Amino acid sequence: MTVKVDTTKKIRIGAFLAVMGPGIIAGLSDDDPAGITTYSQLGAQFAYRMLWTLVISTFALILFQDLGARIGVVTRQGLIGLVRQKYGARAGLLAVVSLVLANLGTMTAEFAGIATAGQLFGFSKYLTVPIAAVLVSFLVLRSSFARVEKVFFALSAVFFAYVIAGFMSHPHWGTALHGMVTPSMPLTHDAVYIATATLGTTLAPWGLAFIQSYAVDKRLTRDDLKLLRVDVWTGSLLTGVIGFFVIVTCAATLNAHGTTNITDAAQAAAALKPLAGTLAKDLFAVGLIGAALLAASILPLSTAYSITDLMGRPSGVDDKLEEAPLFYATFGILTVVAAVLILIPGAPLITILIITQILNAVLLLPLLLYMYGIAKDKRLMGEFAASRNMRGIYLAIITIVGVCVSAMLWFTFF
Amino acid sequence: MKAPAITGVPGVASVTNVTKRLVGRKDSVLARKTIRESLVSVAGLIGRPVRDTDGRDIGHLVDIVVRHSADTYPPVSGLIIKVEKRKSFINGARISSLTQDEIRLSTTKINLEDFKRREGESLLDADVLDHQIVDVDGLRVVRSSDLYLAPLDKEIRVVGVDISFRSLVRRLFPGALSRRPTPEHVIDWATVASLADGSGVVRTSSSRSKLSQLRPADLADLIEDLEGREQEAFIEMLEPELAADALEEMEDDELQGLLRGLPAERSASLLEKMEPDESAEILRDLTDDHRESIFQEMDTKVARELRKLVSFDEKLAGGIMTTHLLITVETDTVAHALKLLVDNRERDISDGVVVVDSRGRLLDHIQVVELVAAKPTATLATLIGAPFPTAVTPETKLEEVIEEFGNNRGSSIIVIDEKKKPVGRILADDLVDALADESGYRGTSQGNGVLS
Repeated sequence: MTVKVDTTKKIRIGAFLAVMGPGIIAGLSDDDPAGITTYSQLGAQFAYRMLWTLVISTFALILFQDLGARIGVVTRQGLIGLVRQKYGARAGLLAVVSLVLANLGTMTAEFAGIATAGQLFGFSKYLTVPIAAVLVSFLVLRSSFARVEKVFFALSAVFFAYVIAGFMSHPHWGTALHGMVTPSMPLTHDAVYIATATLGTTLAPWGLAFIQSYAVDKRLTRDDLKLLRVDVWTGSLLTGVIGFFVIVTCAATLNAHGTTNITDAAQAAAALKPLAGTLAKDLFAVGLIGAALLAASILPLSTAYSITDLMGRPSGVDDKLEEAPLFYATFGILTVVAAVLILIPGAPLITILIITQILNAVLLLPLLLYMYGIAKDKRLMGEFAASRNMRGIYLAIITIVGVCVSAMLWFTFF
Repeated sequence: MKAPAITGVPGVASVTNVTKRLVGRKDSVLARKTIRESLVSVAGLIGRPVRDTDGRDIGHLVDIVVRHSADTYPPVSGLIIKVEKRKSFINGARISSLTQDEIRLSTTKINLEDFKRREGESLLDADVLDHQIVDVDGLRVVRSSDLYLAPLDKEIRVVGVDISFRSLVRRLFPGALSRRPTPEHVIDWATVASLADGSGVVRTSSSRSKLSQLRPADLADLIEDLEGREQEAFIEMLEPELAADALEEMEDDELQGLLRGLPAERSASLLEKMEPDESAEILRDLTDDHRESIFQEMDTKVARELRKLVSFDEKLAGGIMTTHLLITVETDTVAHALKLLVDNRERDISDGVVVVDSRGRLLDHIQVVELVAAKPTATLATLIGAPFPTAVTPETKLEEVIEEFGNNRGSSIIVIDEKKKPVGRILADDLVDALADESGYRGTSQGNGVLS
């Protein structure tokens, strides 16, 4: 602490930065390798036609991230603990199992992103993935994490390159606009899959639990809520904007030149050629590494927090190993299992990146329903309880996720 | 720190409490065979049929209402049942038998009333089960996996709570398996502090008195581990003096977070009871608006004093001193000084008294030992002499204070104003705090590190 007169300003800015962050981090982490790959595939396969799925997903992301932040601030409890408290033991377990499975999937996708990026640089996944797993664990469990986080953040910002690449690739803006506002899709297996994956990667389950636990852990109050909401909206919109440019770029480059199915990272990276030319691959790989490491460093923390929240009190990296064995066990198991899955010889990386996001969409359903139930509970939320209109909108989004998941299951099994 | 205040817990002396705690397990009602054999699991009972005398179904159990009183084990005061689609309340006096599979009422004619929450009552399923509770013996925060009812003293009461993971898993099984009580994991209701309650506080006298036996540092850890309403309810449950002691032991940023969540009125009353220098340190870190709203709720005299302390720079003597002083005039007797000390024995500063002249100017600081050795009727003037205390002004720099401390080991430093009137003291622990803050020894990050 320093002299009082000098700190007033510093504290204000500090508080601002502390609050301005989780939403944007969650947003940028949504544009992780899985997100970029899913959006690339959507653009390559269907050009501009299915942009509307991103519009709906972004809208849903804004509303539910905002709700998560509000629940965290008002109830000052983590999502999983709150579900157990309100809906009982079975519901709590269902919620935590959904979240852990979804997070394991996404964590696997992050390592798939690392492996993919490594391959673009010519390194074997058997080298890059273990290094990434050790690096992430080491950094997170050491206090220097906060600084490194900013580096990952900066690396993942490479994906802003898609905005420039989007303009340089001269897309059909009119067709893009039409695709955004006109819901239409071929009723095929591929279309339903990619629509579901887009929902699952944008409105990721971990992001919802994360934003809520962030608000609880940092003890944000109703006064902080305004800033937090600005942050959440900014972060969510950013996800949508980057997603939009990824799809548009891929539509104008890959799809226009006949690449309608992405099977490896080099193909996806080719979308950046109008901007970066021969450096497209390197640019793409750097972005993948940054975004993957950023998300991979938050995911195990957020998951372990939720599991310990189910059992009693949420733990964090401030607790010692003997104080919070469950926390560290979850952290370790999630990281190791995800890394091992990627190391299985011949694991199809691009497929894993998209399949895990479909899994996300399925596991979203129970979590969204619980959040909806909490949102309308006047005893828990008081004056912040969702209004009749908002309840209708939440339900509409849940219905869309439900329809997508059902259609996806129908195409899988029939 | 100091001995915890146990005033306000009627009829409970601290010594008997300690003994009780030591033999807690044997003393427990759960040790009685009749009770162990008649335990009914609350988690298993919810959803079971409620029947009349003739065995006809009336509805299904939704929740159990208990009343909190001075009793250790809260009695069941009513049931909430679902009849067709409507939730109704049935007075507890109507229960004729309560088993794991069903509840029988002592009547066939039932008056269904709408349920309204009443002060001093809570719902076992909605407020307690799966909520955070404090395991006072184990000194940790857990979630209750199950609660147990048993007949005791002519009423059906909550006697035990289950905090095991196995019981949580048991509840996932279908049918009768999920209802079977697992008494091997039950702990006595008296050893936990349950916090959730519609009206805010569950006053369980026994856990309350147990809490008063804990060290403030342990209480601080428990407070930090609790979330949301439970955290506030827990502080509410503590004796104000003890709560203030515990708050002093909390991490600065945790405490700031806590104060941001509490109503200004409550924050004010807690801060008033804390040592002024500790309060000032916390208040200094709050936003201007928040600090002001707390001052508004305080006793004007205390607020004025704290405002002054807050305005001092933390690198100067005034910023780290405590303003609690036991001031005596040189014409006072030794007996008077001793009484003053005894009256203030809970304060940090009770190692001696400050003696001033008739115009309030500092003369000396007299240690307890000197007072005890002197004749009770003697005046304090007769005890004045070397070693004299070191005096500094509120504007003295921290480094100089430390130097003075080094030169005068064993004695404290008195802070005086320009008229030589004593305004505060600096004790060794104040210096340790100040230095720890300066070297950044205390963690500066807030929260558990979901995102550092």
